[in-house]
Amino acid sequence: MDHTRDNPLKRFTAFWIALLLVTAFGIACIILRPMTHGQVDTVSDVAGKERLAIRADIDKAQADTLNEDALEKALEAKTADLIKEPSAGKMPVPGAAPAPAAKPAETPAE
Amino acid sequence: MTFKAFIFGLLATFGLPWLVAIVIPYSAMRSLEPVKFEEGSGVEGVYIPKRDGRVTEGSKIYGQQGCATCHTQLIRPTYAGNDVHRDEWAGLRKSADNPDTRRETLAMDFEGEDIAHIGMSRVGPDLSNLGRRLDQHLAGTGLSPEDWLLRHLYNPRGIKNYRKGTTAIPKRSSCPSKAGLFNETSSAGAKGNALPVEIRDGRAIVPGDKARILVSYLASLKKDTLGQPLPAALNYNPQAPAEEK
Amino acid sequence: MAETTSTADSNGVALRSSIDRSLRHPVMFFFTSGAAWLAVAIVLGLVASAKKHAPEFMNWCSWLDAGIVDAAHMSALVYGWGAQAAFGMIIWLMARLSRKECTNVGTILWAGHIWNLAVLGGLICIMSGNGSGVPWMEFPGGIWIILLLCYFAITIWSLVQFQVRDAGHVYVSQWYLLGALLWFPWVCITALLFVFVFDGNAVMATGIAAWFKGTTFLLFFLPTALASAYYLAPKVTGRPVYSYNLALFGFWALAFLGPWSGMQKLVGAPIPQFLPYAGAAAMVLILIPAMSVGVNILKTVAGYGEVVAESPSLRFTASGVVLFVVYGFLSLTLHLVPSMKMTQFSYSGYGLDILGFYGVFSLCAFGAIYFIVPRITRREWLSHRFIKWHFFLSLYGVASIVICAVIGGMTQGQGIEDISQPFGTMAERASQYGWGVTLAWGFLLVANLFFCLHLLLMWARLGRRSSHPTLLKAHHAESPHGPEGEVDNIGSVSA
Repeated sequence: MDHTRDNPLKRFTAFWIALLLVTAFGIACIILRPMTHGQVDTVSDVAGKERLAIRADIDKAQADTLNEDALEKALEAKTADLIKEPSAGKMPVPGAAPAPAAKPAETPAE
Repeated sequence: MTFKAFIFGLLATFGLPWLVAIVIPYSAMRSLEPVKFEEGSGVEGVYIPKRDGRVTEGSKIYGQQGCATCHTQLIRPTYAGNDVHRDEWAGLRKSADNPDTRRETLAMDFEGEDIAHIGMSRVGPDLSNLGRRLDQHLAGTGLSPEDWLLRHLYNPRGIKNYRKGTTAIPKRSSCPSKAGLFNETSSAGAKGNALPVEIRDGRAIVPGDKARILVSYLASLKKDTLGQPLPAALNYNPQAPAEEK
Repeated sequence: MAETTSTADSNGVALRSSIDRSLRHPVMFFFTSGAAWLAVAIVLGLVASAKKHAPEFMNWCSWLDAGIVDAAHMSALVYGWGAQAAFGMIIWLMARLSRKECTNVGTILWAGHIWNLAVLGGLICIMSGNGSGVPWMEFPGGIWIILLLCYFAITIWSLVQFQVRDAGHVYVSQWYLLGALLWFPWVCITALLFVFVFDGNAVMATGIAAWFKGTTFLLFFLPTALASAYYLAPKVTGRPVYSYNLALFGFWALAFLGPWSGMQKLVGAPIPQFLPYAGAAAMVLILIPAMSVGVNILKTVAGYGEVVAESPSLRFTASGVVLFVVYGFLSLTLHLVPSMKMTQFSYSGYGLDILGFYGVFSLCAFGAIYFIVPRITRREWLSHRFIKWHFFLSLYGVASIVICAVIGGMTQGQGIEDISQPFGTMAERASQYGWGVTLAWGFLLVANLFFCLHLLLMWARLGRRSSHPTLLKAHHAESPHGPEGEVDNIGSVSA
């Protein structure tokens, strides 16, 4: 064996050089992926622009007419109302005072 | 020649076509700009070919069943072939009910499919406008395109051609019968999906899922201009003469 | 064995013999399992062809439906037979030319077995309708990864052997082998990434799959066959190659043209127009490397007609080289623009593919196998008649397929282009040529049976123990080799 050209070290480096060479274009594909996969404006994006603009207008109009404070106040008032009423005999409202117990019947009627 | 020189030469002779024929065209095709209709054409916005039906799954099944070996889906420009002029392959001819809707295949025609089934050979006819032909010829017969397709898939040699005026059952179709995509079940279980084929009493043939998906895909193949006019930038057809003979 | 090298130094003989010994198991494994896959591929090809003109044939088996069986046929032919024959040739040729023994027999054998299993698994997936659906790359993605890893495990040692070879002249076969070893993974990894992993336009993905198919033949199988031809022609005749410069020119012409080919299958498709036409141009110009190789090899064996006729390896190899020149001319004819209009979607493409893959690659592979197997098993082929039958049936079968497919394809194409002809008439006429193709596959099946049987006998160490090679001429009692006790001569003159 000619030790200047064939020894375990040479074989080791030859192996990795070979591996690098065979995967060369695979690595190149991956490196160039950002170039091949830049942002695209698809047909659906472009077609959707007008539709999404209208949607945005509607959302904005609805948001504008929505008066958060008035809504909050109305909700609180109604809730307080509901809580005040005694609920004996009716569907109990969460947070209401417990209904007074009914008086036990003394004598059965007749 | 040294090893280094050899490798350099190999990388160069391979790298150039790799870059020029694979990488760059691929990235260019990926970002095709939507084509706008020009001013005054009467249509607003961009050209969006619409397809209904189960395109993605159907396309995969079409490929897996090997349909692309015998059928093409490519209407070539006239410098490359006469497909545009053949038998309603490219669309409908001008008639009382419709204008001339023929056109060549466009890059966005395969939207929704992972791989375009351009096809390997024409043992059978081109399928680019199969859905259109079925709609046209089966209108008024009471048979829907999907039903005709299911029967054709089950036994291509047991069903009449869809074309109007065909009476005989053609014996010469080379299409394989895809009975494997259908299931045999009891007639009660068939619930109206049974195919009208000869079978023993109490049994029926119903399409399986793959058959339904494939048929939905095939019936969606309408790559012409009916209802979807082309913008001028994509219209390679010559101007029709005032009177078509 | 009579080695026809002029310098018979005993060191050289000892080294060659130890190289052959080290490679016996991997190379025999690849050749025998390749031959078995070839039988499978031929049967599938027969069925595939029959389905075109007799669609009711074997209707009951959905695994053999037209379309599916075509994909299975080509996959078995290319990855079952072709790849394994190529592996056997590559590892033996590179070891011999670099004068290095093989030290990774275990890895190679493991990888070879896994390759077989992967191909089998891939075929089952295709035939059960679970392939990838990608034309020309029908194995599912996972199978491709396994095949690629096996490929590395089998062939990387040959690249290492080349790099640690003794200093000296590098022979042209080594350049072809290096090319093949590097081109295949470059093409395969690129195609797998762009088709299966990256997402982009569907038509471009089909184009890249077509590119994969075209380049795999021109840049892996063809260079392997040519490496073998450039090795065997001088070796068997004892003459040097006619022109080393012409050989290099042929190599670089192939290197330059090969990577452009493939997309001519998509003429007229909505992709950048220059792509299919660049592919067609490359296929037209493939005549240039074909002529270089043809002239070179045929001039090397010129005047040695008897040797060519008598040596099995040289007869197969020379035929393969002649068919490469025919391939060049046919490719030129089929890829001119007026022809492509007609033949793009016809049987003609199949005819060209089979001419290249069976006529050029496989015949050269058979030549290599007939040369290599006696050297690694230390036995001679048993029957010159088997070899003759194999040769003539193969040649006849390939020629029939190519002629029927090409002419049938032209009829098909001409019929489709002529819009006054209804499609049905044309389809029926063209399908008649299918009968010729089916019959030809039948001949190839018989040829392969002779080959398989012969190879299995050699694998089982039942070959002739003899120092005289099996030659393709009738042995008389007065033959210079004397009575050899061959199978053919049992009962004739006793030793």
